[in-house]
Amino acid sequence: MKKLSMRERYNLLTRDLDWTPSYVDPAEVYPFSRYEGIKIHDWDAWEDPFRLTVDAYAKYQAEKDKRLYAVLDSFAQSQGHLGISDASYLNAMKLFLQGVTKLEYAAHRHFAYLARHLDGPGPRFAALCQSLDELRHAQTQIHTLSNYNKYYEGFHSWPKMHDRVWYLSVPKSFFDDAMTAGPFEFLTAISFSFEYLLTNLLFVPFMSGASFNGDLPTMTFGFSAQSDESRHMTLGLEVIKFLLEQDEANVPIVQGWIDKWFWRGHRLNALVAQMMDYMLPKKVMSWKEAFELYFEQQMMQGLFPDLAYYGITPPRHVEHAILEKDIVSHQTYWVLKQFTFAAAFHTWEVDDDSMAWLSAQYPDTFDTYFKPRLLKSREQAANGMHSYFLGLPQLCQVCQIPMLFTEPGDPTTICFRHREYKGETYHMCSDGCQWIFDREPEKYIQAWLPVHQIYLGNCGGPSVPEVLSWYGVEEGVDNHPYEVSPDRKSWDEWHAAAGVAGK
Amino acid sequence: MTIPALGAYEFTPLDGAAAYGDDQLVIVHREDPRLWFCAAATFRAPRAMPFGEFKAAMIDGWCGSDPDYDPAAATDWRVFDEPLDVDPSKTLAELGIGHKALVTFRTP
Repeated sequence: MKKLSMRERYNLLTRDLDWTPSYVDPAEVYPFSRYEGIKIHDWDAWEDPFRLTVDAYAKYQAEKDKRLYAVLDSFAQSQGHLGISDASYLNAMKLFLQGVTKLEYAAHRHFAYLARHLDGPGPRFAALCQSLDELRHAQTQIHTLSNYNKYYEGFHSWPKMHDRVWYLSVPKSFFDDAMTAGPFEFLTAISFSFEYLLTNLLFVPFMSGASFNGDLPTMTFGFSAQSDESRHMTLGLEVIKFLLEQDEANVPIVQGWIDKWFWRGHRLNALVAQMMDYMLPKKVMSWKEAFELYFEQQMMQGLFPDLAYYGITPPRHVEHAILEKDIVSHQTYWVLKQFTFAAAFHTWEVDDDSMAWLSAQYPDTFDTYFKPRLLKSREQAANGMHSYFLGLPQLCQVCQIPMLFTEPGDPTTICFRHREYKGETYHMCSDGCQWIFDREPEKYIQAWLPVHQIYLGNCGGPSVPEVLSWYGVEEGVDNHPYEVSPDRKSWDEWHAAAGVAGK
Repeated sequence: MTIPALGAYEFTPLDGAAAYGDDQLVIVHREDPRLWFCAAATFRAPRAMPFGEFKAAMIDGWCGSDPDYDPAAATDWRVFDEPLDVDPSKTLAELGIGHKALVTFRTP
């Protein structure tokens, strides 16, 4: 038999294995692909972004795994963890492991569902490949970071924490929102908004941060995932174009999803923003600069003019997101700092060098609005006082972030929005989250808000130690400022012994 | 807008007033341009708790960690932007402070 081209092999092994059901109504075989109102006339019009077959896919991934695990072994054997910029850097990785890794696993599950439930063989196969990618990402992230768990605190119990801890309800509820939507909304939410529109803001900061701070394993993981991510990005764009080209009636539905999921993703990015500006001992670039490059230039000036052809406009409330680029990292870090006693990572006082960098990066806002309270916090710390928030914060019903965000254009006034729905009151942090609530109130009233659940006695008990124990956070070890942490103590001891100056 | 769904889509909120019995959640915000406290606070308090007690036990306990906070200076009380005539002996319910109401004040 002659050797077949990649394209022929692909067709034989994917599309040609498909058949049209004749004795069962297709609507019964694929019951979930119609109720969202999306009209698909020709599933064969789907352009497969990558013509991969299962054998080729497995071969590529095995090669990448081999390279990654060689780096992990060598890093572990050579005590590579001693060569990172500073142990404080690892708090960014704790946040990543707690916040992101289970999202990869959730994506694996949901793409497996799509691989069964989309009508067309092209998108089904694309979903199958992505499902396998996401499982591989979850596994390789766990293996990549497990080496640090031997030497540093806070890398344990992350699956439990993801389900329980207050700040992790932000990524968890984001993904739950997508998974409980229909298949096309999920694709718009995750493949387009998350993996295309905002992916460079989500993953590049973590991976570049790893590279700048000597974290070779995480950097290698990033490279290992990169070719998958570019496939996911291509799929995201293909999904949108396919939906828009199939029927004009799809345009307003897709626009509504883009509006919603842009804002949901933007809110999630608040955690990434503070990580970039405050948690990296060696900074990559400011959040503001990353936002301007990866979102304003690449998406607002690059992508959306292209989508205008289909009648798609830039996302609703994007002007508020742009205003927030100057303030969001500072406001979010302050929340995490005031609640460090209830977190499974450390924050710390901001030193003079970092303040000088922040002043230079944020000339319009840092010195005026944020530096004074960081100085006051430092002064209090020097006097043996903490700057904790001795209470539980108000949470947004939609994004579940403490209501830290300010009125557009006024960084001194907290933004409060609320709605009455069926006799109950719901609070939102912004016009964006309020608009999302108003579209689907019946969905968001189901939110499991950590603060309200603590008050209902569902989180281990009424006191902070009981809640921390239920979270799996070890008091005095995983939480509180980095300055007094066991991580800091170990780091200093290891480096004193080796004659290398610590931070 | 209704939620696209295959079946009936109706749920009871997890944190409605009924879930808290004789208590309720009250949200308190200290207006402060420096935003020392990163967000407003949520408290669980009996509806029958007098406002004076609520302030002393909960609000002052929360704000007291800020050395610049003066409990006696708290003024301009509001509930959802409506002026609140604070009578320390009246209960939260009597003052019209309901479940998940937003109470704000300033300290000049």
